[in-house]
Amino acid sequence: MTPEEKAPGTPPDWDSDWAAWAAAAKAEYPRAQSALMPFLHRVQARDGWLRPEALDAAARYLELPRQYVESVVSFYSLFRTEPTGHRTIHVCVSLSCALAGSDALLHNLEETLGIRVGQTTPDGSYTLLEAECLAACDLAPACQVNLRYVGPVPPERFQTLLEEEVPTREEA
Amino acid sequence: MKKLDRHYLLRHRDVAGIGTLKGYEADGGYSGLKKALSEFEPDALVDLVKASGLRGRGGAGFPTGLKWSFLAKDGRPRALVVNADEGEPGTFKDREIIEHNPHQLIEGMLIASYATRAPESFIYIRGEFLRGYEVLQQAIAEAMEGGYIGDKVLGTDFSHRMYLYRGAGAYICGEESALLESLEGRRGNPRLKPPFPAVAGVYGLPTVVNNVETIANLPPLILNGAEWHRQWGTEKSPGLKVMSVSGHVARPGNYEVPLDTTLRELIEMAGGVTPGHQVKAVIPGGSSMPLLPASKLDTSIDYESLVQAGSMLGSGGCIVMDDTTCIVAAVARVVRFYRDESCGKCTPCREGTYWMTDVLDRLEGGLGELDDLDTLLDVADNINGKAFCPLGDASVGFMVSAIRHFRDEFVEHITGRTCPLGARLYDTVNY
Amino acid sequence: MIRLTIDGREATVPEGTMVVDAAATVGIDIPIYCYHQALGPLGACRICLVEIEKMPKLMTACTTAATDGMVVHTQSKAAEKGRRGILEFLLINHPLDCPICDKGGECFLQDYVFQYGAGQARFEEAKIQRHKEYPVSPYILVDQERCVLCQRCVRFLGEYVGEEQLLMDGRGVHTVITNVPGIPVTSPFSGNVIDLCPVGALLSEPYHYRARPWNIEREETYCSQCPVGCPSSVTGRDGQVVRLEGRPTPGQWGWLCDHGRFTYDFGTHPTRLTEALLDANPVTVGRAAQVLGERLAAVVREHGADAVAILTGGSHILEDHHALRRFADEVVGTSRIGLVKPVESDLPLALLGTFAELEQSDTVLLLGTDPYESVPVVHLGLREQVRKRGLRVKALGDRHLLRETLAGEEWVVEPGGMAAALAAATAAASSHPDARRAAEGLDPADESLTGLGQALVEADALTILWDGREPDLVRALVALARARGDRATRVLPTFGPRNWLAAVRAGIPTDYETTRRILMDAADGRIQVLLLWGADPIRDFPDGDLAARALERCPEVYFGGVFPPEGAKLLAGMLPTAAWAEETGTYVNMEGRLQTAHGAASAPGQARPTRSILQTVARAFGSPLRRLDEWDPYEGTVEDRVVLPPLEETVTSVSRSEAAQTGKDSGFRLISGFDVAVTHDPSEVAARTKEERPARMHPQDLEDLGLQDGSGLVQILSGDRSFRVGVRSDPRIPRGRVFVPRGVTGVPINRLTTTDVAVRVAEEVASR
Ligand SMILES: Cc1cc2nc3c(=O)[nH]c(=O)nc-3n(C[C@H](O)[C@H](O)[C@H](O)COP(=O)(O)O)c2cc1C
Ligand code: SF4
Ligand code: FES
Repeated sequence: MTPEEKAPGTPPDWDSDWAAWAAAAKAEYPRAQSALMPFLHRVQARDGWLRPEALDAAARYLELPRQYVESVVSFYSLFRTEPTGHRTIHVCVSLSCALAGSDALLHNLEETLGIRVGQTTPDGSYTLLEAECLAACDLAPACQVNLRYVGPVPPERFQTLLEEEVPTREEA
Repeated sequence: MKKLDRHYLLRHRDVAGIGTLKGYEADGGYSGLKKALSEFEPDALVDLVKASGLRGRGGAGFPTGLKWSFLAKDGRPRALVVNADEGEPGTFKDREIIEHNPHQLIEGMLIASYATRAPESFIYIRGEFLRGYEVLQQAIAEAMEGGYIGDKVLGTDFSHRMYLYRGAGAYICGEESALLESLEGRRGNPRLKPPFPAVAGVYGLPTVVNNVETIANLPPLILNGAEWHRQWGTEKSPGLKVMSVSGHVARPGNYEVPLDTTLRELIEMAGGVTPGHQVKAVIPGGSSMPLLPASKLDTSIDYESLVQAGSMLGSGGCIVMDDTTCIVAAVARVVRFYRDESCGKCTPCREGTYWMTDVLDRLEGGLGELDDLDTLLDVADNINGKAFCPLGDASVGFMVSAIRHFRDEFVEHITGRTCPLGARLYDTVNY
Repeated sequence: MIRLTIDGREATVPEGTMVVDAAATVGIDIPIYCYHQALGPLGACRICLVEIEKMPKLMTACTTAATDGMVVHTQSKAAEKGRRGILEFLLINHPLDCPICDKGGECFLQDYVFQYGAGQARFEEAKIQRHKEYPVSPYILVDQERCVLCQRCVRFLGEYVGEEQLLMDGRGVHTVITNVPGIPVTSPFSGNVIDLCPVGALLSEPYHYRARPWNIEREETYCSQCPVGCPSSVTGRDGQVVRLEGRPTPGQWGWLCDHGRFTYDFGTHPTRLTEALLDANPVTVGRAAQVLGERLAAVVREHGADAVAILTGGSHILEDHHALRRFADEVVGTSRIGLVKPVESDLPLALLGTFAELEQSDTVLLLGTDPYESVPVVHLGLREQVRKRGLRVKALGDRHLLRETLAGEEWVVEPGGMAAALAAATAAASSHPDARRAAEGLDPADESLTGLGQALVEADALTILWDGREPDLVRALVALARARGDRATRVLPTFGPRNWLAAVRAGIPTDYETTRRILMDAADGRIQVLLLWGADPIRDFPDGDLAARALERCPEVYFGGVFPPEGAKLLAGMLPTAAWAEETGTYVNMEGRLQTAHGAASAPGQARPTRSILQTVARAFGSPLRRLDEWDPYEGTVEDRVVLPPLEETVTSVSRSEAAQTGKDSGFRLISGFDVAVTHDPSEVAARTKEERPARMHPQDLEDLGLQDGSGLVQILSGDRSFRVGVRSDPRIPRGRVFVPRGVTGVPINRLTTTDVAVRVAEEVASR
């Protein structure tokens, strides 16, 4: 991400949330060095993504180099550094799901949502992502909406993923 | 094959409600732990596990008791780490155990921790297992409440703390040393060995890393003894295994079977291959393993027989492909997985998987050349045995076996400039 | 010892040696990218694959320890194929833009592909496009397409230096080396990653597109910016220095700090003296030398030889110092010759230590000096020793000398209180008569100092880094050395100038008193001609007032050197001399070790080597120097070091210096030290990161002054004296103190009469 793409500022009281979450994460494990990922999960669970300010906060409150935080975040595919929609849809594209038609499913979703994989609908409702094996090949094609399993979702039943049965991030 | 009259690992399938402590206790849960604490010295437990012949279910099949006995004996506190990063394509057994039978895992961890004298244990659960994470959180809280975790477990001198840690989407974190890096809050790059985890694992402590299913084996094993465990399977591969069956079968799912079950029997249990079709190939143990052609379906799934047949049991993720499957597309898909999941640390895996993926995509799209096959095999050879960690080797096993068994199909893609089956796996190309 | 066979050759190596290093001992070069001995094995690039008998697969020579009886093949078919495969992989996403790459001709990828690679490229797919020429700092560009992800740079900065400023971003084939947007690399050791990068991925911005391997001259040299004298290579092109690189030598990794590395262009800085001046009028250097020689002759005739005095600044080469000494003795005949150094103390040379001794010490004491600032590469060495073998670090100073990257135990005392503290600490742990004598009359040792005393007295081998402040420390140090008996006590001086120990080797007195007398005599009119050779007494001499009086009152002051000194308008004449890299010459580093540096550029304008100028002066004087160039600087040295005298100093009691006893409520106490970041030579390249605010105060003090954003301009006042200086915040400065480095032009802390100062906010002047 380039600096221009940096998100606009965050509400000021978030910082105290971050401080509290960082402290909690530190206390949760026998050594504070394990606190970073739990902290990031907590932030992302609320915001849907990790804005640069949150990464700054991670560095500040966990006493880690900011560069280290960046490096860790960029390694893990669940950590998002761009805003996501209210519902993040992961479609598994690994072998068993592919055999069951996950590519067609993705294709249908792309057509209907008008976005490509990796993008978020302009109204901020959905983010569409590919996933590698979700360890749910019995549900092939398997999907997750906000990390809740949905499946099997045959390509023609893609609408299931857009229905309101799974809570949005805010509702969860 | 000795028939099973009940489940020992997928116990929840026979008994409703054992996902809660109450339900689990009602079914005799935690009596394995009680027995371990009251009747065994830690070392005697290690011996029992050795005698049982239990082998790791995470993929490598390493004898569990032996692994425990490698722990550095220098007085430092030890740690147990449970590998719940289940990510090997085709494998979903740990998820079922975690979500439905969590207390058996926790009981097993307590037994293993007692046996290895580990005051602390960790579950590293992949980030996508949000439900599993919540279930385990709840179950650990219940077990603490019930006096199974904490100071002076069940009034004995054994005290224990258990931690739950979420990954965040990285298959490589299933590799034990990458897992430890991640557990310590770093990028999931595998560590240089030596030192091995048994000497310097999590936070530098002597550490055992075991798979969820391996650990879930312990409560019934302790209760029933080594001989009980040995009644199933073969001499070298005794016991039960949860096999994840997926792909072109009628009832994909997990099947708990003795280790001498054949692939054919397994497919039968899963309702057989798609009606009207034949099995074309089977990957017996997750996509890191070579495929077996239909001619090998009578192979028993024990570790040795599968190796002899040209594949491996791996994690027990059995993917069945029927005769509609374009093998080139399947290979391309699998190799792409490794490209995307390569950690990037070492050259051959990082660059080689990228190269192979590109060539395979081209091949599948009908734009291949005949010498591409030689190139692919040579690239695979330049990765195999030369990467930093086993992921490199894993990326080529399926492809090399597919070219060996289905070379004609590759050639037809090239000469015919399209898929002879008229079936492309991809309808969208996203890269 | 372990014996193994590599390609049929027997190697015998210590246990724990990696196969790659074992091979090197018998002259077998196994290619490497990610491996570096200082960083330890990583095993990432896999280029070092070798075949080892009885092992099922190829092994990486950099991660496999040699074992007894091991049989290694580096040229077997399998090993060759493995290596070729890795090289091919490294090229698939490489842009192959060698013709325009700065590293072309100096690149390990190019070399190895040439040596071991396949002739034919098989990769026909699209390459991944990434950032090229992406700046991660004012000095460093990353070409991510050329990167082989060996991680040397990331590990060097993150692990070795402890300043994690470069990072691996992304995963798998999309991994790149970068910085966090908006957070550039600022470590003063950053430039080393350019040297460490085995390919053309990390480039020096100042060198970018400046030269090609075939049109440069690369010579062995030693950095000239601080007393460490780091081994380096200087690149000259068309008579100008265009680059300085670290140069690994046995026992040293070849690190440089950025202050040294990027000041390579000081010789062409606009403020460089390139023409001779007489009474401010330009003349030829020959003419100026002629006039000087004639004037000297006349003065000697009229007033005697001792009416002439010579002061060196300790920056010229050893050969020049020798020439100056001979000039004083044989031409002028004066006994008045000395060194202008920035401290009052005279180091007991008998205790002068070496870096090798430091590596054998179990304890190091930072005495008033922060090596990160005064001798940066030594800081890196200390950090390595701490990490590698648990070297214990103690610090005693008037500010916090330890930092996040160098941990230990520290004692912060009142300004001027180090000598008393060290004497008291020693006496608390030893009953040696000298220890007691040194501590006589001091308050009974502060309890907290007992621990320090014990650590110092009981250490098996102790090395002390000292910046020469507080002359009484000499007594305390000698007492400590005596109290320690036979166990090694070594001192490494961390103050500049770069080559002051050359004066020792040349037989020029280096003690403070000699120079003070010369300046007094000059101030009192007893000297008619004062010859300053690279000396800037008004800026550097601890008694700046005396130096100023001397220059004002002495009828004729001449200067020979590279940059005009302060008070240049008081000079009768200036002669431009050749500088570092413009001729071959010998430097003596802080260990007292002679190091010969070669030239790669030509002196600009009329600048001439000192020796040729002095010869002209001598001829005009009527007494040419004979066989000047036949002198061998190394003759009579032992292991290339200056010969050390025995330890003869007698110990008397250490007094709390006046500064320590005052403590008037004037607001702030002034403390000082050395900081290459602000005192390195003027440089247009290094100006990119030059610290414009040399003074430092505690953040809270700055805030109290109303400088909320942590920096600003202040006026420092003491009595009727005052100066302005830029200040920035530094939590390592204790509250109530203001740190101002010595030797900064225009920041005359040596002209304040007390260390009690007032600090006021000054208005920024636009012209600054
Ligand atoms: C690339 C890679 C991925 C792996 N993924 C997993 C995994 O998801 N779960 C697991 O238990 N073991 C996995 N393993 C195996 C572990 O490294 C380790 O051998 C195992 O957890 C040990 O447990 P066990 O002895 O009980 O089998 C993986 C290994 C590799 C090389
Ligand atoms: S083989 Fe190499 S790049 Fe691949 S996952 Fe292992 S260490 Fe990472
Ligand atoms: S030098 Fe050996 S793996 Fe890189």
